[in-house]
This record gives sequence, structure tokens and C-alpha cells, in this order.
Amino acid sequence: MSSDDEANDIYYDDDDYGDDFDGQAGSAEDESMSEPDAEGYDVLSPSIDDLPQKKPYDVTYKVRTVQEIMDMQNREVQKIHALLDIPTSTAAILLRHHVWNSEKLQEAYFTDPEQTLLDAGLSPPSSPSPVKRTRSQHTVPFECPICCMDFTKEQVEDLTLTMGCGHRFCRTCWTEYISGKIRDEGESARIQCMGEACKRIVRPELVDELVPGELSKKYHNLLNAAYVADSPSLRWCPHPGCEHVIECHQVPPRMLNQLVPTVKCDCGRFLCFGCGYAGNHRPVLCKIVKMWEKKCADDSETANWLQANTKECTKCQSTIEKNGGCNHMTCKKCKWEFCWVCMGPWSEHGTSWYQCNRFDEKSGIDARDTQAKSRASLERYLHYFTRYANHDQSAKLDAVFYTTTENRMKAMQTQGLSWIETVFMRNAVDTIIAARITLKYSYAMAFYLVRNNDTEIFESNQTDLEMAVENLSHQLETNPEPDILMKMKQDITNLSAYVKKRSDILLDDVLTGYFEGRWKFTVTV
Amino acid sequence: MSDARLRRVQKEIKDCAKDKTSQISIEMVDESPFHLIGAFPGPPDTPYEGGYYEVDIHIPDAYPFQPVKMKFITKVYHPNVSSASGAICLDILKDAWSPVLTLKSTLISLQSLLCDPVPNDPQDAEVAKHYLTDRASFTATAKHWAQAYAQAPASKQKPVPGKQASDAEMAGLAESNVQSFTDMGFERAKVISVLKKLNYRGNNVSNIHESTVLEELFK
Repeated sequence: MSSDDEANDIYYDDDDYGDDFDGQAGSAEDESMSEPDAEGYDVLSPSIDDLPQKKPYDVTYKVRTVQEIMDMQNREVQKIHALLDIPTSTAAILLRHHVWNSEKLQEAYFTDPEQTLLDAGLSPPSSPSPVKRTRSQHTVPFECPICCMDFTKEQVEDLTLTMGCGHRFCRTCWTEYISGKIRDEGESARIQCMGEACKRIVRPELVDELVPGELSKKYHNLLNAAYVADSPSLRWCPHPGCEHVIECHQVPPRMLNQLVPTVKCDCGRFLCFGCGYAGNHRPVLCKIVKMWEKKCADDSETANWLQANTKECTKCQSTIEKNGGCNHMTCKKCKWEFCWVCMGPWSEHGTSWYQCNRFDEKSGIDARDTQAKSRASLERYLHYFTRYANHDQSAKLDAVFYTTTENRMKAMQTQGLSWIETVFMRNAVDTIIAARITLKYSYAMAFYLVRNNDTEIFESNQTDLEMAVENLSHQLETNPEPDILMKMKQDITNLSAYVKKRSDILLDDVLTGYFEGRWKFTVTV
Repeated sequence: MSDARLRRVQKEIKDCAKDKTSQISIEMVDESPFHLIGAFPGPPDTPYEGGYYEVDIHIPDAYPFQPVKMKFITKVYHPNVSSASGAICLDILKDAWSPVLTLKSTLISLQSLLCDPVPNDPQDAEVAKHYLTDRASFTATAKHWAQAYAQAPASKQKPVPGKQASDAEMAGLAESNVQSFTDMGFERAKVISVLKKLNYRGNNVSNIHESTVLEELFK
């Protein structure tokens, strides 16, 4: 329980802490970032604009390890420990109870220390030491109220314990209870005393003592996870197997309608700090990518099937599936009779019952027009979806693409190139995949855009990028003759640079467009 | 750990058998001590008075660290008990469970839940609506259920003691209201189910237009 030995020599007053924190928060490319103050979310501030290579829509962030996350918590704890003169473990529990808001905690503590401790599930300072009790109390045998085991008065001290709230149970039951809470319920900071309606919190020291090893490790992981979850400026890297945490102070939720805070984790993969999306969903906003993916998951199969197998009644627009029989259709709903082939009214078909030769007739054209209108929205969706899905598929095949490229690089090395001279191939594949991902999301964006002059520019940027990507893709797949190898290298390098450039132009236009409020969406963001 | 579970359950059953004052009984269904039936009398001064309520009890593997699973076997007309399945909405059966709670104390909690319904956190929304809109009619229905399902003696006010409650009364509906729609030629069961769904009771009747009811009936 003693905290003094844990209290190391690091002491942070407000200023030290602020400076130190700031220095770490600034990433390598941004040493001059000003301290994030109340207005610190202003991403367009000139101090950032001045920086070379840093786009106004990029966010400053830092990738943290689990150890650093623990250090961050320790610093907060040490600060409270020094300020309120309470043991570090108590400070930690108080901070967790106050969701790491140290100002609120200080305010509460200075107003009413006793109540603050009680609210957080701690024993008030006046009561005896929480875990151990004096021997003098155990003059009677004890029966654990949970497992109904009897303990002699000599055994009570060693085999049972209470947390100062007066609820005593045997150690076996405590162990079982805490294990269950950690293992089955994923509880950490909120494991309470087993007594009925008792709010006393189980301290980490007790957890470590009772469930050492794996479970204690899991418990501390859960505590860390809770800290990250509670902090709006921290987010776990969502990629499997990665244990890094991203720290970013520039993205409050209200900024997400004009900012796509894509960050790159130290594991080499992208994620979105705003919504936790495991990838780079630029240029499209978090809310829209979510809507789009949901729509695709819900609708696309159905929509595809409708497109392929049905037509609408030309009169009442009911969707009809023709599952056999002749072309003389009678709508079940409005009883309208029409021809399945030309969609014109059946009454005009005269005697040509079994073949429709009336395609050019005006009534047929009119009927097909109305049908076309009702189909337009579905087709519009499918238009964007197929392009989205196409790029998605291509990007997913990147593993295959990498291996074939790897093989071709080897082949080139037998043709007189050194390994370093073939690396351009892999760079080209990297470029293509990144561009395809950008293209993919640009179609999700296009689906929700309200058409105006700006969308024309957006679409022409999209077309240019699309063409550049296809050109490069084609070049990469053709097997050149050995004598034009150098020329091909030149071409691919140039095309890659062009794809990169087009991709940057598209992203630049869209992302700065958010700040300028240029994009209007058919949905509210 | 299963030793501790068995020891604890056996002790709980024994303790309950010893205790005559609480009127709570716990009995085994088969040879397993982990599937039990608990029973208690309906609390006095409530519509459930005089009734006898049986509760199905399942002891989970992690008992007493996980809450015991309970549901009413006897049908109960109560906002926090499903009128169809007997499922119970009570905090100590979920997250407010503590390992020191016992089968007996949980059954006592159920008994007191019958005294004090929590209509704002209902298990059965229809019953809760009934409870909130027309207390007198709710109480009457709960009494009918107690007599029909929990062997409660018929109350003294009833002109014909022992008479089975009518299907309208069982649903907490006024016979005249049901009649007015059956007279139009609708099936009685259908009328009762629709009126129940619309909460066609007490003062609420004036809020519901006849056409709304007819619309539902034609569905």
C-alpha cells in the first residue's frame, strides 16, 4: 500500500508538464507546433501553413507504444499524488473515476475530500489501512458467506480478507470473483467489493496479489484500454496484431465534417483517427464512408438482382419479375397490359402475338422513358458501386500483384539490371494501390455529391486519375523485350510520378474544398 | 470451484427449509441441485395477495459469482414480468448481482417487486401501459390473474365467489367495450387482442377513436 517508494523523483508542475507533453506531441515534421490551447483545434493556423510539405488538411499526430501510454498515466498520477498528497494508487483510482479529468478531480477533492474518496469507491482517510486488519479482531471463527467454508480464528488473518468496508470473504472466493470479472466480463477499473451494493473498488495491488500472471497482465491491459477509450485524443491502431496508440489533439468530433484525419501507424498501415477506420478513406468524410459502406452492405446484392431480373410496370412502376410465360404481361397491381419486350401497351400489338416488332413505336418509347427514369436512381447507385467495388477488388489483389512483380523484378535482374534498378517496379505497384484506394472512396463521395460546377472539376480529376492508373497498370503488365528495358523503366517511372501527381491533385482539391465549404452533399454530414 | 457451488446451494436449500418465518420454499425439480423451483405467497395488500407464486430457478456454473437465472412459472400480471414467458426485469438478476445474495434473498426481492412495480423499466410494455393509464383496472386484472393462475381466493366484493374471470376481465378490458365491437360482428378474441394492444381502458378510451380500432380490426 505504501506509495512513497513508488513516488520517484520525477515531479511535474504545470509548466514542466505542458512543455514536455508538447514536445512529444509534435511529430518529427512539426517541431514548431504551438501548444494546443483552447483554440488549438484550428488546423488552418498559419504556424502550420508555413511548414513545407505539410498540407493544411493533414493532422499532427504521434504514434505511442503501450509503455508510453502507461507513462502518460503515471505522469498524471504523480501530479495528483504530489498535489493532493495522497498515495499514488489512490490517485490512480480517483483519476479513473473522474475519467482522467484532473481539474474536475482537484475541484471535487478540495471541496470535500472524504466524499470524493467515497464516490470513487475508496475508504475515507480516517479508516484503518484498507487491506490488512489488526489481529485483535479475529477472536471468533469465520464462515465465508459465499462458499460457506468455515475458518478457525487462527486462519482468518491468512485466508480471508476485507477491503476496509467490513465485507470479509475468503481468498479463494475473492480470486474466483476477480478472475471471472477480468476474464469473462472484461472489467478492470470498476471491479467492486462482493458485498451487496458495496461500491468499494478492488485496488490493482490486490488484483496483482490474488490473480498473478496472465490475468493480472490482462487486467493491466484492460486498464490501459480504458484509459485510451476515455481519452478523446488517443485511439488504438485498429489493425490486427498492432498494439500502438495514436495521439492526436486536432480532431474534435465537430471537425469531422471538414477534415479527414488519416494517420499512419508505426506498423506501416493507415487508419482514420476520426472514426477508427482501418485504412485510408480519403477523400471521403468519416460519416459518408460509414453511410456508403452500410448502403453497400444492405443494398448492393438486392439492387444487382433487381437490375438483372426485373422491370417496372410502365403504368404503376411496380417492380415485376418475369418468371415464365409469354411476353403479354398483366400487372398484378394495376391490371395494365403491356409487352415485356418493348414495354409498350399490349392493345397496340394487334395480331403479332408472339413476336414484338414494335420497338420504334412512340408509345413504346414513352413507356421505356418512364421506366428509365424510375431506374435512374438505381442505376446511378450501381454506377458508383461497380466502380467502387472494382477498385476495392483490385486493391485487395495487391498481395498477388506484389508477388508477380517480385518475380518480374527477379527476371529483370537476369537481364542485366541490378536489384536497386528494379525497385521502381515495386514503387509503381505501391503507387497504383494507393491511387486505387483513393479512387475507390472518391466514388463513394461522388454518389453523395450534389452536382454543381465544383463536382465537374472533381469528376474530371477523377477521370484523369483513373486514366493514369489504368495506363500504369497496363504498362506494368506488358512484358518488354530486353532491348527496350531501359525505356520501359523510364516510362513506368514517369507514369508513376504522374499517377502520384494526379492523386495528390484530387485529394488536394477535395480536402481543401471541405475547409472552403465547396462540397454540398445530398445527406447531412 | 464446483464443490463450493454445490456446498453453497445445498446449504441455501437447507437454510430455507429451516426458516419457517419467511414462507419461502425452495425445492429440487429432479436430482440436480442446480435446477430448482422456488415459491412464495403473494404479498399482502397487493392484487397478488393470497396467490402462490412459483419461480423456475437455474443455478449457472459460475454461481455465486454469476447471478442466478429466475423466471416466473405462475402467470403474473405485473409491469416487470413478461405476461407471456414469465421473464423478470430486476436489477439484481443482472448487473446489480452480488455474490453474497442468496436464493432466498433473491426470492424475497421478487416478492417485494410484486409490491412495488417499476413501470418505467418494464419487461411487459403493454402491462406497464395499463398500469400507468388506469390503475384501478390494472389492479382488477392483476387480481383476476391471481385468482385464475395463482389460486388466490376470489375477493369478497365479487357477487359470485369462485366464478371464473371472463376473458375481457382477464385482459383488463370493460365488457361493454368489448361487446360494442363484437356486436359489429368481429370475432371476440380478435377484439380483445386489438383493444389490449391499443390500451382501450379507463380514461384512455376517449382518446382512441373508433375508426382506429376498426382499422386495427380489419388488418
